Amino acid sequence: MYHLYLVKGVGGRIGFGIATNVKDRNKHYSSHSGDIVTFPVIYGGIRSHAKAIEKIIKNELADCIWYVDDWKTEWLDKKYDETFLENFVTKTIEERHCKLKIIHRNYNFTLDNS
Amino acid sequence: MQKTAMGLALSVTPPTTMVYQLPAQLIYQSVPRNPNPMVHINPLNKRQGKTVTLADRVQDLQNTAVWKKTIRQWGETAKLFDQLRISQVAMVPLGDILIDEDIQRPLDEKWASLIARPAQFDPAHLQVLRCIKRSDGKFISTDGQHTAAVLAALIDSGLLVGVTNWRLFEFPVQYILTDDLAFARRSFSLLNGKGKKKQSAYQMLRNTVYIVRIDGNTSDPEEVAAEQRVAIAESNQCFPVEENSTLSQYPGTFTNIATFESMNNAEIQLATAWHNQYFHRDPVHVSLFFMFKDFCREFEAAKIPFTQQLQEQLAGLIQNLFVDLSQFSSSVKEAHRIWHMKRYGYKGVWNDDAYGCGLMHLYKRFGGQEKLPPTLLDRFDDLIAFFDKDLLELAP
Repeated sequence: MYHLYLVKGVGGRIGFGIATNVKDRNKHYSSHSGDIVTFPVIYGGIRSHAKAIEKIIKNELADCIWYVDDWKTEWLDKKYDETFLENFVTKTIEERHCKLKIIHRNYNFTLDNS
Repeated sequence: MQKTAMGLALSVTPPTTMVYQLPAQLIYQSVPRNPNPMVHINPLNKRQGKTVTLADRVQDLQNTAVWKKTIRQWGETAKLFDQLRISQVAMVPLGDILIDEDIQRPLDEKWASLIARPAQFDPAHLQVLRCIKRSDGKFISTDGQHTAAVLAALIDSGLLVGVTNWRLFEFPVQYILTDDLAFARRSFSLLNGKGKKKQSAYQMLRNTVYIVRIDGNTSDPEEVAAEQRVAIAESNQCFPVEENSTLSQYPGTFTNIATFESMNNAEIQLATAWHNQYFHRDPVHVSLFFMFKDFCREFEAAKIPFTQQLQEQLAGLIQNLFVDLSQFSSSVKEAHRIWHMKRYGYKGVWNDDAYGCGLMHLYKRFGGQEKLPPTLLDRFDDLIAFFDKDLLELAP
């Protein structure tokens, strides 16, 4: 199973990404941030669909992306919150008939015993 | 026993053939259509020209971060520039122009003859010659030798009304006063590519479209044909835009102008109509034109109809396996990369033919029954094995 996740930075900024192993990915975010980082929503499904939705976020929300100088990040401007991004992803999955489903909410690696 | 409307008895025999049930992965499900902003902001949809003042442009420039950074650099170097270094313009007899053979290229006779063809030659398009003017008063050409040579030779052939001696004919020359030949060499490089901002394929197409749409000039059949191709795409809500432009995020936009221009009207119609019907939420992916050009030509050659059913099933396949063409492209490229490595033992170069062939292989694997040209299935014959396992597991 492949994953598309939403991530909430330590300062509250909302971002997104894709991963095979969400536990490892969550540990990486946490170790870089110096604190536990939460994935508010994790969607699971086939790899190509997770990747497609990630690209759609980057394209359709191009005007919402946070830039560090000229560097296009995978985080949104702070004026866009978790609900905004989750609603966008949910609507996109529904309207485009994607094979992705929510498999975790408010995930972090300390809660994962796998 | 059933009865007809006229009361005649009919015996109903059960069907003896199995009814083909379309595999789920080939069924396209409609996607809600959003209003496309490009319909209203398409830059090519103009019937009137627009001019702005130079002051507008200056203000645009001064508002950008990149310009501000450049001006800061000037401040840091405390440099000013001298107006004497700005080139001047003079009317100079063609006979006074010298050509330094170490700076300019040899005369290209074919190129010169091409410029001078009577059907195309228009003296209004001749451009000013670029020279350096040495302290001994001699003009050394740094750019425009073909223009000068063509004009002089045409005059010599008696083709310019009222002028017989080309040597005395005065032509505008833009020059810098210098004896520095290194400057002349750099100038030649700048004027012939190194320092020139080349026109993009989109800018050239836009110019052509504007000649027809804004200027109403239909004297050139090639320009008219190019405008028609754009009009066909636009009728299907597909729009050429500049590469890396902010417009390229919008549905229906495409930037691969060269491939678009290599397609005929029927191919453009089929490809853009298909995009507009099934993938109207997305920008046009580069693979669309490659695939449809390939499909149109291969189906026609094999005398197999490229049916509406097949077109819809291909859309369903892409939607079910990849969501959109962009992800299909990433997956087929990855499959091709592994396939090439396994087959030939080294990293290969991507081949655009693999888009169409890869899709047809997937179509067969997922139970498609429509007839396909064998040429699309023979190429990259075992490519299918290298798609993601989680995708292939979805096959019936």
